[in-house]
Amino acid sequence: MIDTESLIAQSAAKIHERHGGRDVLHGESAPTAYWDAIIENGLHLAWASEEAGGFGAELSEVAGAIWNMTPAPVPFVETLIANKLLELGGLDLAEGTASVAIGAADGKHIIPFADMAEDVVLFADGLIAQYKSKDLELHSIDSLSPDTDGIADFSKANPINNMQTNISRFSIEAIILTLRCVQMAAVMDGALSLSIDHVSAREQFGRPLSKFQAIQHQLAEAASQVAAANMAASQACAALSQDIESAWHEAVIAKVQISDSVEGATSAFQQVHGAIGYTMEYDLHHYTRRLWTWRDSLGNEHLWAKKLGDDLASKDKDQLWQGVTTGAWQA
Amino acid sequence: MNRFNFPTIKPDPALEELRSEVQEFLISEKEAGNFQSEPECWMSSSDPEFSRKMGARGWIGMNWKGYGGHNRSALERYIVTEETLRFGAPVGAHWIADRQHAPMLVEHGTEEQKEDILPRIAAGEYYFAIGLSEAGAGSDLAAVKTKAEKLPDGRWKLNGQKIWSSGAQHAHYMVSLVRTSPPDGRNRHVGLSQVLIDMSAEGVSVKPITDLAGDAHFNEVTYDDVILPADALLGEEGGGWKQVTNELAMERSGPERFLSSYVTLEQAVIELQGKMGSNAKARLGLIYANLRTLRGMSFGIANLLEQGISPETEAALVKDLGNTLENKVTQNVRAMLSELPMSELSDTMKRIINIGVLRSPPNTLRGGTTEVMRGITARQLGLR
Repeated sequence: MIDTESLIAQSAAKIHERHGGRDVLHGESAPTAYWDAIIENGLHLAWASEEAGGFGAELSEVAGAIWNMTPAPVPFVETLIANKLLELGGLDLAEGTASVAIGAADGKHIIPFADMAEDVVLFADGLIAQYKSKDLELHSIDSLSPDTDGIADFSKANPINNMQTNISRFSIEAIILTLRCVQMAAVMDGALSLSIDHVSAREQFGRPLSKFQAIQHQLAEAASQVAAANMAASQACAALSQDIESAWHEAVIAKVQISDSVEGATSAFQQVHGAIGYTMEYDLHHYTRRLWTWRDSLGNEHLWAKKLGDDLASKDKDQLWQGVTTGAWQA
Repeated sequence: MNRFNFPTIKPDPALEELRSEVQEFLISEKEAGNFQSEPECWMSSSDPEFSRKMGARGWIGMNWKGYGGHNRSALERYIVTEETLRFGAPVGAHWIADRQHAPMLVEHGTEEQKEDILPRIAAGEYYFAIGLSEAGAGSDLAAVKTKAEKLPDGRWKLNGQKIWSSGAQHAHYMVSLVRTSPPDGRNRHVGLSQVLIDMSAEGVSVKPITDLAGDAHFNEVTYDDVILPADALLGEEGGGWKQVTNELAMERSGPERFLSSYVTLEQAVIELQGKMGSNAKARLGLIYANLRTLRGMSFGIANLLEQGISPETEAALVKDLGNTLENKVTQNVRAMLSELPMSELSDTMKRIINIGVLRSPPNTLRGGTTEVMRGITARQLGLR
């Protein structure tokens, strides 16, 4: 369900390789060429339907592009979601960078990649509203991530476009959580690759670290968490591709599973790297800091697990089993 | 590139129909008092009568064609087995033969063996035991010393001892990994072969070993000059190591690798119905997400097996994660139940959680320890 070989995914990989150099990923140069290449290839429109002005790509292909653009220094995922929301609202797609928020129309909400998004699309009780970032009073918030998230008070700005729909909050949460889960699984996988490379190259006691069983087992265990994250994200993608309206549970399961996997995986990655992994100079923090941010943003594993448990407690043992085996949920 | 191969499988209404049939049977058997749900039922709960009923319904021997087999898919078999685990049904008698040895006989057995043995496995009448571990060969399986010596007339003379062979006291046959020729210098993987042993043969003796839960499901099996017919050799002479590796890869990804303790969780949900506090809910939600993910991985592999692909590393990952989860389920159920006074727990709940705790240790041991699984994964990662 995450097709990293699709044309879109391959084109994403090329952009990342060409424009995602060290200076860009370390924030020393602006990712202007990176984003321009996304626009040039139309990747920001990939997921929207052809009728809406997009390419109508399958989610599996889009997920593959997200995977191959990891860690992206630009709001690619956020723009994909924003454009999907605009499409659902029957509104024109965003031309450039965009981000999303969810909550009350007059509330304060967190916006990922706030400093780079030209537009922000808010979902509030069925209302899909498009704002210009410059019209929002944006404040950046304290974040663990290299990306700058912001907070904005939507009561003080007017949208440039909006549409009331009968789309449920569950559907929108399913979309946002699922794509975030793909991002998290991809970042976790990237950090595993980095860790494998490091322990294979670094020698201590006259041999590579990779030859020590203690190191092998730490990374094998982390790899099992990476594999679980991949499956959880794939399962969420499968559910979302089938039906947005009923995809919520699988998306929430994925967010719980993946956020739960973060601590085990990242502590192993940091540990096998030793002190170099704790520096700003080395790349590992591009992965681990994002994971530490994303496990909490949009609701962490504790919040969603409680909601899932609450739902399960209100049903019976048959729902529990049906959920485990088929993912289906009683009405 | 995706690092691992775990396909996502779309829901299939035909499979759900089969599931309903199996559930109906299991509910009626349980209501009739024919079994009590137990954790780890596939290993420790044996009931030949129950196995024959499963056989009569066509739920054993689902994956082979002819010889009493039902020619159904690996996914259909998966549905049947996961339902029996969910109910903690007494499937231990036939489990190993159905999962492991029948496919082996289909591939390597003689016509006569197939005609004689396979229909009786499918009927739930013939049971098998595994002969891998020895006193001096646990995780280091290639250290096995049991020896089969080829006699001038082509028959084999077997001597040695196997240990931890579950169900050997009820088994009609056993398949053992034995040395048929010496190792080639330091390469111990050569010269090993698999042989089929009729448990009623002269010189075979079985001594049950009581586990810490008080059950005697595993055994020490001694071979003292046991004469085996020439066709007792399964597969290639000297090819036993490769065969065993493939066999283990196939059996590591099934639902019994993460659902052994599921009955404990289900009973806790029944027990806490309408009384669940936020701590228990949070734990239930987390375990549910873990189970759903593992089920996706395990079922994905069943789909690969159906296509003739046997992914060793993915199976090792499922076993490692799944065994950890089984024990995590038991521990979380303990935590969930802390919301009720101990005195209010039903006898069923107390019984199940106690069995669950007692039967936790072997989850991460049998079929390859967690350490062995991590070694397999590490090799795939390029670390060794």
